[in-house]
Amino acid sequence: MQTEDKVLDKLAGVRSADIEAALDPAEADGVFRDSRECAGLALFAGGGKLLLSPPTPRPKKG
Amino acid sequence: MEQSGTSTLLQGAVQDLASSVVSALRSGDHTHVLPAGTEEAGDVTLAAVRVLGADALLPGTLLRTPPDPAGLAVFRKAVEAYPPRADAAPTVRWSHWAMARALHRADPSGTFERPDEPGTGWLDGASWQFLTHQLAVLAPLALPGEDDGVTRAAGRRTVDVARGFVRAVRRRDWRQAAGAGRWLTLLPGVPETLGLRAGLEFVELMGGQDPQVALQLEAARLLARTGALV
Amino acid sequence: MTATGTREIREVAEHALAWTDAHLAAFALGEDALSADGEVDHSWKPLGELAQVCATVSHHTAPQDPLHTRAAAMLDFAWGQTGEGELFRHMQRLEPFATYPLEVYGAFASAGYRHRAYEEAAAVVARTRSWWLTEQEPTRRLAVLSAEERSGIRRAPVEELLPAGTWLAGRPEPWTFERDAGYAATHVVFHLTDWGRDPAGLPPALADYLHDWLPAWLDTCLEAGMWDLSCELLSVAATVPRLTGDPALGGAWERIRAAQRPTGALPELEHHSGDTEAAGADDDPHYFMNHYHSTLMAAFAAVLTTARPGGPAGEGTEGTGRKGPRHSGQGAPA
Repeated sequence: MQTEDKVLDKLAGVRSADIEAALDPAEADGVFRDSRECAGLALFAGGGKLLLSPPTPRPKKG
Repeated sequence: MEQSGTSTLLQGAVQDLASSVVSALRSGDHTHVLPAGTEEAGDVTLAAVRVLGADALLPGTLLRTPPDPAGLAVFRKAVEAYPPRADAAPTVRWSHWAMARALHRADPSGTFERPDEPGTGWLDGASWQFLTHQLAVLAPLALPGEDDGVTRAAGRRTVDVARGFVRAVRRRDWRQAAGAGRWLTLLPGVPETLGLRAGLEFVELMGGQDPQVALQLEAARLLARTGALV
Repeated sequence: MTATGTREIREVAEHALAWTDAHLAAFALGEDALSADGEVDHSWKPLGELAQVCATVSHHTAPQDPLHTRAAAMLDFAWGQTGEGELFRHMQRLEPFATYPLEVYGAFASAGYRHRAYEEAAAVVARTRSWWLTEQEPTRRLAVLSAEERSGIRRAPVEELLPAGTWLAGRPEPWTFERDAGYAATHVVFHLTDWGRDPAGLPPALADYLHDWLPAWLDTCLEAGMWDLSCELLSVAATVPRLTGDPALGGAWERIRAAQRPTGALPELEHHSGDTEAAGADDDPHYFMNHYHSTLMAAFAAVLTTARPGGPAGEGTEGTGRKGPRHSGQGAPA
């Protein structure tokens, strides 16, 4: 019981500060990340020979 | 920042309460938002009610349904248990005042006395960034038909709040964005180019899993339906 | 916070141009400027940007002003690098359909450095249907149109050439702003206003749009340490009449001043500046590439800001947003 009381006391003691902090919060840090650019997929497939030839047909699975 | 055990506990309780408010706003049934009586409400719950502020009564306020007496008693207890200290920050004072107003509205025949409206001097000449942050923290004040000092201050600076919304989204501060968005659904003269409706949808997509974000967005949805400030 | 006034903003330009002058050799055209596999972005692009910024600085400053003298001297240097324009003619023989030589030439032409034979030659290519049908980003197309006008070879008046198809002209939701959209937007404004010389070239609807949202973009770019884009946005702010001196931009110049290195250099991004600076600056080829553009843009923005009749933007660091008189949209610097 004694320990429980202590915990409760502590809870009560910290809480008003916690409440104030929750009601007057500092601004969160900004998070910034820009979109990356993925070149047209044909560019990767063709190793730079963009749009010159269609992709090599692959055998169908199954 | 390290958080104390109570702080974590409190935050969890606030999130739970916010979730209940969101459900109530969505379903229209708000009888179970607050604990059914002051006996059931522990300290952490009461503190959570204080933190969520007037929004704990938001379903009744926006859906215009009569208050649940047991829940109202809990709300009143939270208002009385945590009055702002003399040197409390303006947002602490205003949030308490907003609770008192909500209590008075919900139970006009009650014995509760409304405190005087706090001052708005801290918003005079505030940068648009600071203004928006403070308004977002005080989003429970964003209600239709109100004419308090903070609402008037917001109404004079619509474009600045809209800039703050843009900034908040850019910074991925979804809570601030949602709070500012709620204000913008009420403020006159929001530039068309802001794309507020799409913006609120975007904030929901990105941050809607946070009940405190969802609450503001749900409120904004209802406000957009019920009309702007007079 | 203390207010950043005209003098402090001017110092940003002075320091930036001092750094530029000290690194002039790095702007010189080497052999790779002409070779088929040379990187144009490391040769012609920096030289063109040097020319553009110096053209703007000398345009907006009085002849006895040290800023003017320095900019004019660097412009002479840059023109000298092109063999007084001969290299444009040469480039055209090598790559007749390339647009970048004309874009670079346009910067010189706007400052009165002309090479008639090149202009006539460029006009021949510009008369082909293909020149117009080349697939380009809308912002790039605007750059080419602007270069044609500056070089005296274009066919349609610029008023007819609305920046349709660009991100900015569509007035998109401002909270979708990102780096690439930002650069596209600033360049649309640069082309429409002849790099700040003619603020009236900005359609009123775009000026209103920028008035409303540029402050939020600028603030977040500054917070992210994106100094290069921040300076471009400050340059644009200087050409939007209602943003002139607007407290909504408060503190921006102070942050640029704080970011500027003692050498006058301004890194493109705060977070990758440390590597190249620590590595011994001048010996590192990345150092120049990571600093030259933002440093030039700092000078560009500072000169445009201080040249505006309304005085520096953000002179008061806190304020109430939209108070104060609205400018009519006129009042272009002479």
